[in-house]
Amino acid sequence: MTTMTETRVVSQAAPVHGSAFAEIWWVAYRSLLRVVRSPMALFFSLMMPLIWLVMFSQSFGNLFQRGAVAPGGPALPYDFVAVMLPATIVMTAIQSASQSGFGMVADIESGFMDKFFVSPMRRSSVLLGKLLADGIRMGIQALLILTIAFVLTLVAGWRIPFATNVVGVVMIAVLAALFGVAFSGLSNTVALRTKSTEATMMASFSLTFPLLFMSTAMLPKALLPGWVQSVSTFNPVSYLADAARALIISGYDWTLIGKALVAIAIVGAILNGMAISAFRAQGK
Amino acid sequence: MNMQTAAPLAARSSTATPGGAPIIDVQNLVKVYKGGRGRTEEVRAVQELSFAVKEGEFFGFLGPNGSGKSTTIKVITTLLQKTSGSVTVAGYDVDRDPDAIRRLIGYTGQAIGVDGELTGRENLMLIGRFYHMGGAHLRRQVDELLTVLQLTEAAERRANTYSGGMRRRLDLGAGLVHHPRVLFLDEPTTGLDPATRNGVWEHLRRMHRTEGMTVFLTTQYMEEADQLCERLAIIDKGKIVAEGTPSALKADIGADVVTVRLPRVDNFDVVRGQAQNAAQKVSGVKQVIPFDTGVTIHATNAGATLLEVLKVLDAENIPVQEVAISRPTLDEVFLKHTGRAMKIEEVKPQNMMMRRRGRG
Repeated sequence: MTTMTETRVVSQAAPVHGSAFAEIWWVAYRSLLRVVRSPMALFFSLMMPLIWLVMFSQSFGNLFQRGAVAPGGPALPYDFVAVMLPATIVMTAIQSASQSGFGMVADIESGFMDKFFVSPMRRSSVLLGKLLADGIRMGIQALLILTIAFVLTLVAGWRIPFATNVVGVVMIAVLAALFGVAFSGLSNTVALRTKSTEATMMASFSLTFPLLFMSTAMLPKALLPGWVQSVSTFNPVSYLADAARALIISGYDWTLIGKALVAIAIVGAILNGMAISAFRAQGK
Repeated sequence: MNMQTAAPLAARSSTATPGGAPIIDVQNLVKVYKGGRGRTEEVRAVQELSFAVKEGEFFGFLGPNGSGKSTTIKVITTLLQKTSGSVTVAGYDVDRDPDAIRRLIGYTGQAIGVDGELTGRENLMLIGRFYHMGGAHLRRQVDELLTVLQLTEAAERRANTYSGGMRRRLDLGAGLVHHPRVLFLDEPTTGLDPATRNGVWEHLRRMHRTEGMTVFLTTQYMEEADQLCERLAIIDKGKIVAEGTPSALKADIGADVVTVRLPRVDNFDVVRGQAQNAAQKVSGVKQVIPFDTGVTIHATNAGATLLEVLKVLDAENIPVQEVAISRPTLDEVFLKHTGRAMKIEEVKPQNMMMRRRGRG
């Protein structure tokens, strides 16, 4: 049994601040380690999207092919699942973003948040580190879904064009991750203000489907009822879905990608602005 | 990543606050929480609190739940913003220089804030990173802490497989990784069984002795305060009601203690009132304080008083279940200064652990 007598004790205040990048990395590292430690959580987070992908594309696929989209026109060179795929990616990003706040509540309740706050780390590093980890997790989720869909095109004969190949797939994953990070500001704000898992869950669950169905994620704009069309114009989900769908079905559409990035930036600025102010209010 | 080197012993005394100034100095601290509907109701958690702690001291706050202990410790550790007053640590002001304070202090909160998904070693390494430590220095530091806290064998296991005592020790380690000059412990043994509690005390004593660091502890356990603290303040309803060394506080009672327990009868309150009045009349009795199962009598000569008290009670037909003579304990000190016995609100350890496990 060694004692600590020979290591001296009482250190002085560290004269230099650690770099912000290192701080952000170590906060993110901890969150990512938690993801690696419970791979089942990641696995189950993919169940819902995959069920969606299969069920919807199988159930409505015929309807789609038999001319609901273009009555009397020629059969399309791709399956309905090619339309569902970007919608599923978007849905997964929204759901993951909704869960971002859970980690925040858990850390507050367990007392781990105090470990962050009592340390000399910058407050911003704590939030940015968590967002970085969330972004990486969301990007991986999107990549996994896209990979599974690609495998099914080979194995099950699904007709998804993957018009932009691997580059496009990575671009979709990045867009989904960015959107998820931007949107997680909402669940983090609710989490920090209410400190309640239930409130955080309700706030996000109630938003997922309205956001999805009042956008152009599930159907082209022309097929939406008039008032939904108007709503979808202001729904950031539409822009993400349009860009992702183009990348899968037709090819690079830089206008759509640009619009998606602008929508993400606006959502991110507003929601994460709210989250930052809720974060700063901790301990007041 | 800058490496933090442990300062030699000599450096410590040279940076000690000049002129023996206290390392923790709290003056007229007030914390008001806004609560209730529409956040209009005000709760004054801490009212005009003033005290100081010297470098190297083991200082304690003893008080029941809701007395303002945690609020005070959270303000000093920069976790909570105060309403008014002045608080400094090593001369740094909590509002102006929170970062300087954060580098000097360690904190172990009431909730065991270890990450259950991470191993014991990973938890400590991570906390070191939060303090901008790294490299061989951090690894050596963590190795040593694991040894001292007797967690070496469990080091590579996830913390959510640990027992309550092990988690508590790991959490203590998290407060020590960066060699803080002042260690803050907020109810470090609440929810632990007595055997585990003794183990934690052992560790705390050794840390204080070998590390020479200042320790500020809050507790609701009389025994814990008595066993560990060189000096303590008794806090009740946001105010310090008594302050001193445990022995001085007990000596201040200036008397022996005769405890008379009464049987549980229907009109218990009436009987206790009668007993109180009767005992009051006995010569040599300084004070009679009622508590939930009887009365406590402070007397200059317990032996003589005991006989007299029993006679008087017998004469008035008051039934007695049990009598005892004792030297005063901190229980009597608390009773004397607040007029009531201190109630410990015990959190069911089992439940708390189950709850914590899931979240980590």
